[in-house]
Amino acid sequence: MANIELRGVSKQFGDVKVIKNVSLTVEDNEFVVFVGPSGCGKSTLLRLIAGLEDLTKGEIHIDNARIDHLAPAARGLAMVFQSYALYPHFTVAQNMGYALRVAKEDKASIDKKVRAAADILQLTDYLDRKPKALSGGQRQRVAIGRAIVRNPKVFLFDEPLSNLDAKLRVAMRIELTKLHRTLNATMVYVTHDQVEAMTMADKIVVLRDGMVEQIGAPLDLYNAPDNRFVAGFIGSPAMNFFAGKVEGFVEGGIEISLTEGAPLTFPCTGSGLSIGDAVDFGVRPEHFCIGQGADGTLKGEVYAVERLGGETYLYLSSSSQKELVVHMSGDHQVAVGDHVEIGFSIAQSHLFGPDGQSVR
Amino acid sequence: MEKKRNAGFETWLMHIFLVSTAIIVLYPIFMMVMSGFKTNAEIFGSPFAMPKSFNLDNYAVIWNTTDVPRYLINSTIVTVISVIVLLITGTMAAYAISRYKFRGSIMVSLFFLAGLMLPLRLAIIPLFVQLKAMGLVDNLMGLIMIYTAMSLPSTVFILTGFLRSLPSELEDSARVDGASELRIMVQIMVPLITPAMVIAGIYNAVPIWNDFFFPLIFIQTPENRTLAQGLTSFFGEYSVNFGVLYAGLTLAALPVVAVFILQSKRFIAGMTAGAIK
Amino acid sequence: MDDSEYTRAKRRRARNLKLWLAFLLAPPAAILIIFVFLPMASAVVYSLYDWNGLVRKEFIGLDNFADILFNPNKNVILFNAFGNNVKVFVTLMIVQNGIALVLALLLARNPRGFRFYQVVFFLPVILSTVIIGFQWKMFLNPIFGLVNKALHYAGLSEWALPWLGLPETALPSMLLVNSWHWFGFPTLVFLAAIHRIPKDFIEAARLDGASEWRIAREIIWPLIAPAVTIIVVLTFIGSFNWFEIPYIMNGLEGSPQGSTDMLGLLFYRTAFGSVSAGGSDFGSGSALAVLMFIFIFIFSIIATKYLTSREVEMS
Repeated sequence: MANIELRGVSKQFGDVKVIKNVSLTVEDNEFVVFVGPSGCGKSTLLRLIAGLEDLTKGEIHIDNARIDHLAPAARGLAMVFQSYALYPHFTVAQNMGYALRVAKEDKASIDKKVRAAADILQLTDYLDRKPKALSGGQRQRVAIGRAIVRNPKVFLFDEPLSNLDAKLRVAMRIELTKLHRTLNATMVYVTHDQVEAMTMADKIVVLRDGMVEQIGAPLDLYNAPDNRFVAGFIGSPAMNFFAGKVEGFVEGGIEISLTEGAPLTFPCTGSGLSIGDAVDFGVRPEHFCIGQGADGTLKGEVYAVERLGGETYLYLSSSSQKELVVHMSGDHQVAVGDHVEIGFSIAQSHLFGPDGQSVR
Repeated sequence: MEKKRNAGFETWLMHIFLVSTAIIVLYPIFMMVMSGFKTNAEIFGSPFAMPKSFNLDNYAVIWNTTDVPRYLINSTIVTVISVIVLLITGTMAAYAISRYKFRGSIMVSLFFLAGLMLPLRLAIIPLFVQLKAMGLVDNLMGLIMIYTAMSLPSTVFILTGFLRSLPSELEDSARVDGASELRIMVQIMVPLITPAMVIAGIYNAVPIWNDFFFPLIFIQTPENRTLAQGLTSFFGEYSVNFGVLYAGLTLAALPVVAVFILQSKRFIAGMTAGAIK
Repeated sequence: MDDSEYTRAKRRRARNLKLWLAFLLAPPAAILIIFVFLPMASAVVYSLYDWNGLVRKEFIGLDNFADILFNPNKNVILFNAFGNNVKVFVTLMIVQNGIALVLALLLARNPRGFRFYQVVFFLPVILSTVIIGFQWKMFLNPIFGLVNKALHYAGLSEWALPWLGLPETALPSMLLVNSWHWFGFPTLVFLAAIHRIPKDFIEAARLDGASEWRIAREIIWPLIAPAVTIIVVLTFIGSFNWFEIPYIMNGLEGSPQGSTDMLGLLFYRTAFGSVSAGGSDFGSGSALAVLMFIFIFIFSIIATKYLTSREVEMS
């Protein structure tokens, strides 16, 4: 198995810079997820690693050897595509064995490897079928099987679950995590779905506009986002933001005022802010509570309620905020039109400077 | 009530119109086939009666004393080879145009499309001089090259459309699997457009089989004549024997009609392919 | 390995891809250049020279064109042929394509026997024009032909005419034969276009109480505009290249009395010689070809432009 290292990787299509100077490391056996909104360059980055696109600048190393000049097949990696890309005129077995056939392995050994992979993925009964005769989930497993058969150093996944229905997606998520553990392989996985990123990744790379916004373990990104973008992107529903202003400095923190509610003192060290700077104050929907909060309280009118039994979502509008989302566990008897107070604590809130960076 | 009866009348009218059109098409063909079994005396004396016997005398005359069998063989050679060369070269061009981004790719596809607009018949004089210099006059090879060139633009046009619609992830997947570009094309992509190749093949094979203009100019010796062209000399020879002539027409029509009846759906799709976006 | 070796490896891959593309494109491009583009270009060059049969003599500029267009002995023939081509185009547009449109509208209602009609109407299209030309030439034979025999049996002996022998009836007869040969093609192109119209459009109109005539005129007709464009242009190109039917049925000279003479026949006579035109003249022939090409090309472009402007996007 292998580690991957990207050094100053850039990609340009004509005049459009899609990837801008990305450097990152994927450790051996790590499950890394590239996540970001559509158009952020995450798929392009994966295709650069695969060798399906040529780098404009930079280097890619696998197992400490430079590989960005090599053809895809020579890089020792396998890829699972969004559409599965199964060859429609081949059977499942032929699909899974194709790479080995191209590499001129002998028939018996191909057969053995295909059967072994089919075993892991419960595809043994379907080996003679054509892809058309399979369900979506089965096709997905064939695509994974095709990658396993090659025993690659690195697995690449390009949004592999986005064509499955919600239920199957959850099942495949768990199956993929299990597979990662069984195979002990390095995996790079691209998705726009942050739930997939949070649940499967050892490490998440958040991308925006071809640049890395933050790299870290899932809960690190959740608890300590580096900037406003990551804070808003990770977590669902998204974080609520309030516009604020720096009023002054106190021992071990700064004083800010929001457009509503009482001024707050936010603990931080060396913020680099000055008085009068515009800041964003953020609280996650699940970190609000009904009633008075430990450090602050806001008032709003409920305009929509979603009661799911196990959890409740409130949608409020306050004097400064058109839309505020509050997420609570359990059922709460709140009706549309109610005026409610919601509270928060400073410990579970975030502050971002005028440049969007976290103030800590 | 009023409306319903009206609708019934309309339907009735529609059926009359369709049935009479079908009769207008089929009856002359039927008469041609039937007259092929008749003697001259029958044709002139009782033209609309069924033949006295379905004997093959007229066909025997054609088979034994004319060059029509030779023409059939020549037409088959020319059509089959033209279509094979056409599909191979057409697929190559269409594949390059549709599956790769390269500088000048738009120019290249315009180059092939421009051929659609050029009526080659109007260049028959220089073509004649040129083929003569190349030793391809009175030579089936010359016809094959002309037909291939003439049919390339439409073939490239039809195949490009189909090839563009194939997902690029298939190609990427094969590339990651280690297949060479040639292998990707031959083993993965081309098998997926065989229906389109059948359509393009039929679209061009029918006019090639039926063409008589180019052989008229380029073929001189009788043993090199194609069927459509050969019929003209056959008509000169047998101008007074109507029975033999009708039998000759029937024989000439038979191969295409037989394939058409068996594959009518593909024929219709193929022949109208150029006109339907 | 130093850095330059990596760039060299990359360059090698890029070069291999270029070679591969060249391998794919060179053979078809060569065939097309040698057998289509080169002759087309040569035709223009040929038209600017004086020719003595097959031998090229001096450069004479546009004299061949002037001769064709303005020599009063020759341009009578040219204009007669051109006029006949115009008649061919107009008649085929009305008769052949008109019938085709009606048939397509009827078939679009999915009558019983739909498949049968589809196959039958297309049957003449796949037959060689040579076969059809000879077949109908025999049917139209003044004495032995089935057409006149049928008229006799029907008691209409005075209607029995030497159809191909009279200047008034020769061309119309040929046009009917041509329509018989080709009507299935526009029928099925129109039908395919009608089938492409989302069913909702027509059903919604029917629910609104529109008559079938209104549906055909106000919904189907505008929405099959692209097919109409193609058929008009193809009919035009076919009409001005019309050669096989008149050649087979009445010969190279456009008899009787030039009533079936066409530009295609005139071109053939000029280029390769005939009884009336004398020996072969490559210069005038090429000039005529260039004129025909320019005319057809310009009209096709204008017609396409004009007709596409009335097309509406369906989705």
